[in-house]
Amino acid sequence: MKKLINSRFLFAVPALVFLFIFVLLPVFSVFVMSFFSWDLLSPPKFTGWDNFLRLLEDKWFWNSIWVSIKLLMMTVPMCFFVPLALAVCLYKETTFSKILRAFFYWPYMMPAVAGTTMFKWLLSYDLGLLNHIIKSAGFSPVPWLLKPTPALFAISLLRTWGMTGLLMMMFITGLQSVPEEFHEAARVDGANRWQTFWYVTFPLLKNTNLLVLTTAIAHVFRDFAGVYVLTGGGPGYSTMVTPLYIYNTAFTQWRIGYAYAMSVVFLLVSFVIAVVTLRVRER
Amino acid sequence: MARYIKLIFLIVMLLLYMLPVYYSIASSFKGLKEIYSYPPTVFPQNPSLQGYIEALRKQDMLTYLRNTLFVAVVATIITVMTSVMGGYGLAKGTFIGKITLNRLVVMTLFITAQVIMVPLFVIIRRLGLINNLWGLILPAVYTPTGMFTAIQYMRDIPDEFLESAKVDGASEWAIFWKIVFPLSKPLIAALSIFSFTWRWNDFVLPLLVVNKRSLYTLQLALAVIQGEFGGTPWNTILAFSTLTIIPTLVIFLLFQRFFMRGITAGGLKY
Repeated sequence: MKKLINSRFLFAVPALVFLFIFVLLPVFSVFVMSFFSWDLLSPPKFTGWDNFLRLLEDKWFWNSIWVSIKLLMMTVPMCFFVPLALAVCLYKETTFSKILRAFFYWPYMMPAVAGTTMFKWLLSYDLGLLNHIIKSAGFSPVPWLLKPTPALFAISLLRTWGMTGLLMMMFITGLQSVPEEFHEAARVDGANRWQTFWYVTFPLLKNTNLLVLTTAIAHVFRDFAGVYVLTGGGPGYSTMVTPLYIYNTAFTQWRIGYAYAMSVVFLLVSFVIAVVTLRVRER
Repeated sequence: MARYIKLIFLIVMLLLYMLPVYYSIASSFKGLKEIYSYPPTVFPQNPSLQGYIEALRKQDMLTYLRNTLFVAVVATIITVMTSVMGGYGLAKGTFIGKITLNRLVVMTLFITAQVIMVPLFVIIRRLGLINNLWGLILPAVYTPTGMFTAIQYMRDIPDEFLESAKVDGASEWAIFWKIVFPLSKPLIAALSIFSFTWRWNDFVLPLLVVNKRSLYTLQLALAVIQGEFGGTPWNTILAFSTLTIIPTLVIFLLFQRFFMRGITAGGLKY
């Protein structure tokens, strides 16, 4: 007969205390406090569904969701095919590919603020190297951070730049797990490299593909630091993503209760992404 | 033929990916006049350390460095200790709801600070840790990826090791320190490297917790000086950025394999 609980479990207590105070309690409080109106100074006032009704009519909130969707549509294809192409070129364990992998991985582990700052400088309208190159090639300079669509595209480039290393490594892990015999069998049948890749290797990467997609979506959806530093949500509200909008509502307007209500929606979407990712990973 | 296409593709991509880094580092060595002159120069024509001197003197970079190091080192020590112990407890302990608790840890992989910003701020405030460096440490101690990695690692330690020590009469405490802890060296190394880098890179938590200049961390200061009225000159901002990516580059080059392998398994940045 095994004991229901033993003293070894006690080792987990410190970690669980931190988990409880700084993760579970915040998540739980989001659901409770979203029914209150609160400015941090006076005591919270219970207002029922008011925050959520206001949420339905808040066009800037829905704008922020729409901005995130647009960002996803721009970013996810780039975040899929660029790392895939790099992984196909670099999946073999040679010194050459190991060195190159490190370069592509570096942006991922740089501090987000510092990396974004460098991007911002590169994209500067009149002082940036990118517009200088574009102009030298005879095109007109792009107002990267000054117009809505280029600004969204700039964020999308920034995210792809920052995430490529991680996603490339996922693809490399996937590619290395495809047995060499599959390629050989296809070669014998007379398929060329391109055909072998699309009809043999790529379908075998199904789980990796899904993992890359969900990871990319999760990163784009909750990116805060990048947008905060690169555009600050502007011009206007054109790049105001959901976390940034929540941040502004809470910490510049001090509408804490309302920010909680928005966090509920944000949390639920994150939760859906989490469940899908976990399903994929368990396969 | 295919080989050359591949090589050209890789070179083009490498140039593109290193372009922001190269241009920023090159520009950080330009003087005030050159950095604002048009057209931009690809190489600094009159190399100058003006940006670096400004960053270190006028921007109090050493204060931010001290704050960042304090937070990163202390948080890393506590994270490593609690994660190693926690991973052991959750993987090898017996208790009601073990499976649920382990699943819960996996779910927390998706709850990052950005998602729970507002309640996190309220709780830190309630604990009286606003404008306190401990407010940057304690909320960061539990890292989902760290905990998840620790549980996975502990599962692979054979039960026989623990059982035989128990038969010999060792206490649970002694088993942990004499057997489990020494076996966990690779885990401790990986957790330390990750935790330090996460804290060094962190922006969301400092933004929420600290608004006194003397308590800024490097990344928070870098973001703030860009938005300040009157503006900080770009060569100073870029010198600042360059200095803050150097330590992460050194850690990365020294421990490359940890990053390339480890994070792929965890998959998420926290």
